[in-house]
Amino acid sequence: MARVSLDKISVEYPIYNAGAFSLRNNLVAIGTGGRISAEARHIKSVMALEDVTLELNDGDRLGLVGHNGSGKSTLLRTIAGIYQPVRGSVEVEGRVSTVFGLGAGLQPELSGYDNIIRMSMMLGATRAQAEAAIPDIEDFSELGNFLAMPVRTYSAGMSMRLNFAVATASYPEILLVDEIFGAGDAEFQVKAQKRMNEFVEKASIFILASHSEQLIKKFTNNTVQLRHGRIM
Amino acid sequence: MPGDIKDLYRQVSLAWYFALSDTYARYKHSVLGPFWLVLSTLIGIGGIAFIWGTLMAADSETFVPSLGIGLVLWQMISGSVSGAAKLFVFQATVIKNIKTPSWRLSLQLLFQQIINFAHNLVLVILLYAIFPHTLSPLILLAIPGFVLVLLNLYWVVQLLGFLGARYRDFDPLVTAVMPLLFFMSPVLFRGHELGSRAFLMKLNPMSYWINIIREPMLGSVPHFSDYLVSIAMVIVGSALAMWVTRAKSHRLAYWV
Repeated sequence: MARVSLDKISVEYPIYNAGAFSLRNNLVAIGTGGRISAEARHIKSVMALEDVTLELNDGDRLGLVGHNGSGKSTLLRTIAGIYQPVRGSVEVEGRVSTVFGLGAGLQPELSGYDNIIRMSMMLGATRAQAEAAIPDIEDFSELGNFLAMPVRTYSAGMSMRLNFAVATASYPEILLVDEIFGAGDAEFQVKAQKRMNEFVEKASIFILASHSEQLIKKFTNNTVQLRHGRIM
Repeated sequence: MPGDIKDLYRQVSLAWYFALSDTYARYKHSVLGPFWLVLSTLIGIGGIAFIWGTLMAADSETFVPSLGIGLVLWQMISGSVSGAAKLFVFQATVIKNIKTPSWRLSLQLLFQQIINFAHNLVLVILLYAIFPHTLSPLILLAIPGFVLVLLNLYWVVQLLGFLGARYRDFDPLVTAVMPLLFFMSPVLFRGHELGSRAFLMKLNPMSYWINIIREPMLGSVPHFSDYLVSIAMVIVGSALAMWVTRAKSHRLAYWV
């Protein structure tokens, strides 16, 4: 059984200006007791999420809506375990897969086949699982002989096909998606939507962050509105 | 727990696969491939042996094997250390998008260096073929030395990785200090040849690492103190790297 439980979490983002990243400023600050360059050590932080409580169980399909910078992506990354909250607790049970930052692990010099293995492994597959997924990816991406060519020879649309095919090749229990639609030609769009349907159906918990009302309506059964890092 | 061991196995094989496949990608379009690295080491050995050998009037029978093995080891050590400070910054896309343990990225860098080292072993074999008298059963003693050096490099990479991600000056600083460390390490000479300035070499942690691998490969037993210092460095360094990892892992995604 999959479960996502967030209890009053707050996520704070430190903002480092160039000064805070510099070793010299930090050393000067130590040497002068921090008075002269007090400003350099001052690290501002942004409260990206505040007091967010969320409880999701099997079958939940949640849509996240809100303006740019309202905290949608931060929330997804917190559930994925990339960001840790400064307050509150996050409990996640089940295998999580993320569909953002598509193409992590991509090495343009290598062939499509090599990159299928790389990206699948990066997303959590074992080598054997990654190899087993190849026929399905071949079939879905329709890249044919191009899969044996280096990825740097691909057009943007072709890369997108490959990334999308790899990302949706395994079925996770908890699926987190951050606005990925809108690439590829019309024909591929239809295919991608169909694949997305299957993908979402097989996941126990699905969370989608999107600005598209249509997608939110289509894929989710519940929405949460974020504003300035709080749930409205 | 078996789940943890399974995950550990997955992470280690991921690091290994990426190290191999990155090496392959880097040399994909070149004829010599990774053997360019071997060639550049060979040119280094040849050049230094010719000029330095004349300058110091060194006996090539002992000087060339010592220099050759020293340079091969230096390549591995400096490759790990120089790559460390920019490691996490280079992997920013991965760190920001997929839950990634930082220790796996460090392991990947170390694996890459081991792969390079394996290529350079061709040169070591060549040296033994030219100077067969250097080879002795003592070479087996180089294995524990090698393991100790890898353990040391691992914590150095992890620690410098965090420092380099937090303070962007670290990478150029490391680059600036490396030539100095090279001259302070026993690559161009052996420790006892330095006379009264030998303490300079002792200040450089890398000297101990080179000694515990190279001395057995040249047919002599390293000083007991070389082992002792190396082991002490593994213990203190690993503790430090673990502490930083524990305390700062949750900040890494914001730093890079």
